[in-house]
Amino acid sequence: MIANAYELIVYILTLLQVYEPLLNVFQLLGIEYVLKIIIVFVEIGVLFVFVLLTVMFLTWMERKVVAMVQSRYGPMVTGPRGLLQPVMDGIKLIGKEDIVPAKADRWVFTLAPFIVFIPALLVFIPLPFGQSLIISDLRVGLLYIIAISAISPIAILLAGWASNNKYSLMGAMRAVAQDISYTIPLALAAIAVVMFTGSLSTVDIVNAQNGTWFGVIPKWFIFLQPLGFILFLIASIAEMGRIPFDFQESESELVAGFFTEYSGMKFAMFFLAEYAHLFSVSAIIVTLFLGGWALPILPFVPAALVPLVSLGIFLVKTYAVIFFAMWLRDTVPRVRIDQLLNIGWKIMIPLALLNLLVTGFLITAGVF
Amino acid sequence: MTSADELKQKLPAAVVSTGMQLNKPMAVIKKEELLNAARIVMEMGFDHLSVITGTDYTDRFEVVYNFFSYEKKQNLVLKVITDHDAPEVDSLTSLWKGAEWLERETYDLVGIKFTGHPNLVRILLPDGWVGHPLRKDYDMNTEQFVTMGEDGNDIVSTDGKNLLRRK
Amino acid sequence: METDELIINMGPVHPSTHGVLRFRLRMDGEIIKECTPVLGYLHRGTEKLGEMKTYMQFIPYTDRLDYVSAFPNNYAFVKAVEELAGIEVPLRAEYIRVITMELNRIVNHLVSIGSLLMDLGAATMIMWGFRERENALQLFEKLCGARMTFNYIKPGGVREDIPEGFIPQLNEFLKDMEKRIEDYEQLINSNEIFMMRMKNIGVIGAEEAVNYGMTGPTLRGSGVNYDLRRYEPYSIYPDLDFKVCSRPEGDSYARYIVRIDEMKESLHILRQVVDTMPEARIVSNAKYGTAPMTGTPSAVSTYFPRIFTPPAGEIYSRIEAPKGELGFYIVSDGTTKPYRVKIRSPSFCNLTAIPKMVQGLKIPDLIAAFGTIDVVLGDVDR
Repeated sequence: MIANAYELIVYILTLLQVYEPLLNVFQLLGIEYVLKIIIVFVEIGVLFVFVLLTVMFLTWMERKVVAMVQSRYGPMVTGPRGLLQPVMDGIKLIGKEDIVPAKADRWVFTLAPFIVFIPALLVFIPLPFGQSLIISDLRVGLLYIIAISAISPIAILLAGWASNNKYSLMGAMRAVAQDISYTIPLALAAIAVVMFTGSLSTVDIVNAQNGTWFGVIPKWFIFLQPLGFILFLIASIAEMGRIPFDFQESESELVAGFFTEYSGMKFAMFFLAEYAHLFSVSAIIVTLFLGGWALPILPFVPAALVPLVSLGIFLVKTYAVIFFAMWLRDTVPRVRIDQLLNIGWKIMIPLALLNLLVTGFLITAGVF
Repeated sequence: MTSADELKQKLPAAVVSTGMQLNKPMAVIKKEELLNAARIVMEMGFDHLSVITGTDYTDRFEVVYNFFSYEKKQNLVLKVITDHDAPEVDSLTSLWKGAEWLERETYDLVGIKFTGHPNLVRILLPDGWVGHPLRKDYDMNTEQFVTMGEDGNDIVSTDGKNLLRRK
Repeated sequence: METDELIINMGPVHPSTHGVLRFRLRMDGEIIKECTPVLGYLHRGTEKLGEMKTYMQFIPYTDRLDYVSAFPNNYAFVKAVEELAGIEVPLRAEYIRVITMELNRIVNHLVSIGSLLMDLGAATMIMWGFRERENALQLFEKLCGARMTFNYIKPGGVREDIPEGFIPQLNEFLKDMEKRIEDYEQLINSNEIFMMRMKNIGVIGAEEAVNYGMTGPTLRGSGVNYDLRRYEPYSIYPDLDFKVCSRPEGDSYARYIVRIDEMKESLHILRQVVDTMPEARIVSNAKYGTAPMTGTPSAVSTYFPRIFTPPAGEIYSRIEAPKGELGFYIVSDGTTKPYRVKIRSPSFCNLTAIPKMVQGLKIPDLIAAFGTIDVVLGDVDR
């Protein structure tokens, strides 16, 4: 059973009958670990390219979905039906002047976008894109994901502080407050899922959702944990800072958000990080609640095609969740900051704890 | 009996004359008795102060108040005539809160002072403006330029040499 | 630990103040302690201009007061002039005037609700609202050639008759609009987040609203069931059947609902007017005064002298504009130009109550409450 992408690449190379000769060459030079490093770099390169392409596609998709809801066309001019729009946006942003405010802390100011962007990439490591299409099947995959996502409040504070602008700082503090308040119900909802599988590894979670009841309903955790699913969904939309929880970016407020002073490529990195975060959060929702890459009602698929087919299923489910988030953005107005914190602390945390309690009780009672 | 006649009955010392403003009953009030008359008008049920108008006739100023009663669905007009040199009228802000801005606008554009007004400063024109535009003797030939000062407040001056203008 | 009060300036260039309006806010943390609007950024001296132009020359200036709904502005001035001078208007012209004014009421409420929701974050409503507004503006363009500043209603009637194909297009618009208003209600009315943002925000009681001089949908949202079209009717409104929409609560949500209801009532009025419109051949035999007459009496206007002198006197006349009570006080001294024109604008008087309404609220609430007052700066600053 191929456990992760490394072994998949080794398997493909063996099929092409290239692996043995390469291994021998490196063993001769006594540096066989270099081959391993090269293969790992290839993996990460593929992932990086995949993430960048996805993010570019997501910016286009967002504008098209918003336009469809508002009964207009969206980008149509650049490329066929506007598909080259993200490329044009990227070129424009690269060409902008990179302004660093005079009294800003230069080092921290430049570092902050990277600190936001890198965790957004790191989260992709334990995500199972398909059968054996995972960079590394960490045994603590879920914990790793939640921990890495919790780095972004620090980066936001760095960005707000380094701008030397009191409105940026206020905006950064509000963003951090929002982030922290919603990470707690997020983690609590995820823990309820772990209670079923007994393991934090993402591959185990997906495998636990295999099979069907009555031959028709797939054994996805959304049916076992409906409240957990709703809480996780709302908490992740709030953590990402999308409407209805996006008072940071609302132009009708006084403070313009923590990335006011950023321009050009650094601004682009914040935005890329935001869309990468959107994709990874949707992927996590699909893994935890919607069965990952498994679709048990599918007819028999030959073993060689399983990785591709599972990748396809996974992407379809993830894009469905992303579409829902974009659809939500056009339909509802914003929530006020104090109402937002109210919901996070006074409503969602008690509900998440209740969810845990009921799940634990039902599991010990032997129902599941 | 129109409401103007009612007012005359209640407060005969204040009312100089009654008449009609086209189709609305009108009463001309003595300047000193305006506040008393206004109080009586409010008790009579006229709770909506529609507009306060100041007009500059070259020998006098007139301030016209238009009232309306939501209950009785009737109109009433009060007019106060002041002399031309120092026009001053009592302020009705204590009775109708909506009068505050209407009186400020009348002061700003026509130049009538309202005694007892809590905050009689210009409202539509910037603070340093010279003159009251709706007076008939307003100087239309000097241009006044408004620029923004250090703390965001407006600076008014008649000297436009430093401004970029297309001649 | 002592906290200081912060003075924050909002505007004049700001996405949600609907024009160049400036607020000086004194804040204690997040709560607004005092709010002072600073006006005058759009003051153009319309009242002074009124004294220098003839009556007909002044009508385009009235268009620019509340530029979102220009027909009622025209009509308010023209009504004052007609009452002063005793001009009679043919019946068909009155019907056309009511069509334009009610259409303009719908357009105004669409813009108002759309901008309110855009400030709150749901940009969908303004896109849909402007899609409908486009249909209405095309109707206006068909009628008088302009989309925003019409200069169409004149003393004695309207400028020209309605063209071919106007009534069928109007009927289509009415059918379309009914379905769309249902769409808007479904999108917004029971939206939890919208209700959270709008209920109990910016409450003003009925007596206080009357005392402040508020009129229009803002007053009707506080429970005072009063509409100038019903209680001091003008034009053909005595013959039309419509409800006066009002809600008792007095908060922002109530004012929003009043506007949606008023749009529906306007559709109802428009349908009645289109059904009972008199034929083009009914002519009025009103003659006017001794001024030189140009033009001939027609179905839609009496004699249309470019320069005429009404008798000396003064008049205050008001109508129910979409934003409230719009009144013109005209003093005539028997010459061709008015002696004094005073404009009582609804937005100016409604704005008086903002400092009271937002005390103790936060800035997002200020934006929500201010959006429901529906202020257009052209009206406030004149």
